[in-house]
Amino acid sequence: MPAPADAIADRLGLRSMHAAAARFADWAVDTEGSSRSSALIRIGLAMLFWSRWAGELLLYRDQSPIGLFLAANFFVATMLLFLGYHSRIAAVWAGSVGLAMYYYFGFQLGREPWTHHHTYLLAVAALLIALTPCGRSYSLDRYLAVMRAERMGVAPPAERGNLWGLRLIVVQLSVLYFFTALDKTSYAFLSGARLEAIFLWYYAGSDYPAGLAWLATIVSLAVVVLEYGLAFGLPFRATRRYLVLPGLAFHAIIYLTLPVYTFSATMALLYLAYFDADAVDKVIARLQGTGSPATAKGEIS
Amino acid sequence: MADVVSTRVGAEPAGRLSAGRLRFFAFIAIAAFMIAGPVAEQVFGVQTPLLRSWTMFSAIGLGVIDASFEIRQPDGTLVPLDRFVMLGARRDGTLKRIESREELASVIKRLCTAAGQGVDIRVRARQAARNGWQIIRTDADNACAG
Repeated sequence: MPAPADAIADRLGLRSMHAAAARFADWAVDTEGSSRSSALIRIGLAMLFWSRWAGELLLYRDQSPIGLFLAANFFVATMLLFLGYHSRIAAVWAGSVGLAMYYYFGFQLGREPWTHHHTYLLAVAALLIALTPCGRSYSLDRYLAVMRAERMGVAPPAERGNLWGLRLIVVQLSVLYFFTALDKTSYAFLSGARLEAIFLWYYAGSDYPAGLAWLATIVSLAVVVLEYGLAFGLPFRATRRYLVLPGLAFHAIIYLTLPVYTFSATMALLYLAYFDADAVDKVIARLQGTGSPATAKGEIS
Repeated sequence: MADVVSTRVGAEPAGRLSAGRLRFFAFIAIAAFMIAGPVAEQVFGVQTPLLRSWTMFSAIGLGVIDASFEIRQPDGTLVPLDRFVMLGARRDGTLKRIESREELASVIKRLCTAAGQGVDIRVRARQAARNGWQIIRTDADNACAG
C-alpha cells in the first residue's frame, strides 16, 4: 500500500513529471556515444567557415592591423579545427572568431552581411561542437592518442564521449525552426503576400506573374507547417524518419533560390546531431566494410 | 533519443555539485539563452544585437511595388502598356524593380512624357508592407492628368 504522500504525488502526476524530467536530464547531459558524428560535424564546420569567409579574409583584402589580426585568427583556428589538433580548443577559438565577426565587425563596424543568421549559426555551432568529443575521431588528436597508446603498450582510447553538445545543437535547431515558423504565422505570410514580395524582389521585378497568387499561398502554408513539424518532430526518432528528407529538400530549395549563403549547408550538416551517434558510427563502419549491415540499418532513422 | 545512457544526474550524493549536475545547469543556461533571443524580439519586441532572433527574410521585399500600366487607345479601349518598350529601357535594367512610391511617380512621369500630350494612362499599384500588400494606386483616374 502506498504511503499517503506517495498517493498524493501520484494523483498530482508529480511522479510522472519527475520521471519525465529525469529522462530529459539523461538525454540532455548523461548520454555517452560514439565521437564520430561530432568529428564529422567539426570537419564540416571548418569547411563551411572557409567556404563562407576564406575569400573575404585573404591577407591582401584588409591590410589594417585589425583586419590582419582577424584573418590570422580565422585561418589558424579553422585549420586546427579541420585537422583536429586540440580540437575542442580550436572549436572554441573558431566559434569566438565567428562571434567577433558577427558582433564586432558586423554590428559595430557595419560589415555586411556578417550580421546575418548564417554567421551567427556557424559561430554558435562551432562553440557547441566544442562541448562534444569532436577530437576523439578523425583528428590529429586521435592519431597522437593512438600513437601514445601504442608506445605505452595499451589499448587506444575509445572513440566515445558525452554528447551533451550534440543535444544542445538539437535544442538550437528546434528553437530556430520554431521561432522562424512563429514569425511566419501571420496573415501576411500565410496569405502568400510575403512570398510574393520576395519573389518580385529577387525574380520578377514589379511585374506580377500570372498564377503566382495561389502558388505563393500553398507554398507559404507548406513552409510554416513544415517548420513547425521540423521543430517538434526532428528530435524524436518516430517522426524524424518522415521529416529528414523534407527538411533537407527545404534547405536545398532555399539554397538554390535565395541568398542564404552557408545557412542551408550548416543546417544540413547539423542534422547529424539528431541521429543516434552509435547508429551513425555503425553506418560508417558498414560503409567501410567493418560493420554489420543488419545492426546499422534499423537505427539510423 | 536512443543513445546509451551512462550515469544519471540524480545519482550523485545530495549536496555535492557533481560534474553531471554542473553540466545539467550549464545545459539549461545555454538552452535558456538560445530561447531568450527570439523571445525577446519576437514576443516582447526588444531589439538588441546581443540576442539573436530567427526572423529570416522578414524584411526582404518590403517596399517593392507590383505595378501594371494601361494606355487608352483612340477607340477608347484600355490596353496593357509595356513600360520597357515605351521608355526604350532594358527589361533587366533599373526599371525592372520599382522600389518606392517616388520611383513609381518618376516612372509614371516618364511614361506620360514619352506618350505625349493628352494621353490617358491608368496605373494600378500595390506596395509590399509588413502586413501584406497595400494598395497605393487604383486605375480610377488618368495618371497623366494634373
